[in-house]
Amino acid sequence: MSRHPAPEELLLDYAAGALSPAPALAVALHVALDPAARRAVDRLNAVGGALIEDEAEASLDDAALDQAMARLDQVAVEPRAVPAVLQPGFEWAPPPLLPHLRPGMGWRRILGKFDEIRLDVPGDAYRVSLLRLEPGHGLPEHKHPGYEYTVCLQGGYTDATGRYTVGDFAVGPGDQRHEPIADAGDPCIALIVVERPIVLTGPWGRWLNPLVHRGII
Amino acid sequence: MLSADEAADLIEAIASRQDRAAFASLFRHFAPRVKGFIMRGGTDAEAAQEVAQEALIMVWRKAASFDRSRASAATWIYTIARNKRIDLLRRGQRPIDTEDWLLVHAPESEDADKSILAGQTYTKVKELLTGLSTDQLVVIQKAFFEDKTHTVIADELKLPLGTVKSRIRLALGRLREALEKDET
Repeated sequence: MSRHPAPEELLLDYAAGALSPAPALAVALHVALDPAARRAVDRLNAVGGALIEDEAEASLDDAALDQAMARLDQVAVEPRAVPAVLQPGFEWAPPPLLPHLRPGMGWRRILGKFDEIRLDVPGDAYRVSLLRLEPGHGLPEHKHPGYEYTVCLQGGYTDATGRYTVGDFAVGPGDQRHEPIADAGDPCIALIVVERPIVLTGPWGRWLNPLVHRGII
Repeated sequence: MLSADEAADLIEAIASRQDRAAFASLFRHFAPRVKGFIMRGGTDAEAAQEVAQEALIMVWRKAASFDRSRASAATWIYTIARNKRIDLLRRGQRPIDTEDWLLVHAPESEDADKSILAGQTYTKVKELLTGLSTDQLVVIQKAFFEDKTHTVIADELKLPLGTVKSRIRLALGRLREALEKDET
């Protein structure tokens, strides 16, 4: 059981297919790493299955089955799916992240304290990044005008709301400021989905915020 | 009618011997339901029928990845139809993985003793749904079938967001409690 699970309504929106791609990726990674979340989503998928079984049958054209059968000749029954191959350097990446990784992707140092890989996920309302923090280092103090979802993928971090380790999920604290610091051990790697650009509140904020807004950092 | 076991047998028949008759039986049972499901989201009948056909053809293609110990046939087909619906709404964008990795690849080690239950979850959930109040069932149906987030459901039912959230939480809580009692 994760000490910081995703809210149940977010799991429901995920199982129902109602989340935008970026938050859906954050939830998928949480589910991949947390057995309790996995069981919860299994149950919700089963609810979807039960509802579809009970769904009133819409009438189909008589030709619908014939058309589908005619197409089967062109469609091979594929062998059982095998898990995707892990890319070197990304051994910590759970399966749902793999389709978003490209060969040659590398960490980019930001502000000398942490590294980032910006991910290209459809939908422009969100910014999706992998962040890597060295032990003992933190992100500059900031706040979130919109939602922020964080999933810890390696190591751990601590902020005023608690200690987060692999699989833990955090929903951005809204107007609250926070300053996560990476725990000792392996560097902390997390996926961060931010609804709108974050606002830096520390002494450097007024100089750096314009760059944040333009997506430069 | 098609029982859960019969439906699983049909998918396995496709996987092991490309059984076209099995496909036809599955299609007759599930395609009209998938079509109804897609139409609830506001898609017109013709487009919904196409999606239903594509979903069932995907069932054919991916039959070998179906694992009855992880999910019932209806649950697995639900995830395929749901992902097809997501693609439909995002037409022109990169299609999402049709494979729900959770039902195919999720590691089983830590849940080994629960793998048999995974298949039973569906039957149990089906029973429990019939025990929900109409209020609770409506919000759950809307959440699953009309692709609506909580905020939109609240708008539509003219209910405060908190009420929708608590109805959903209550409904899910009842399901969870009943299922967890079985798991321990």
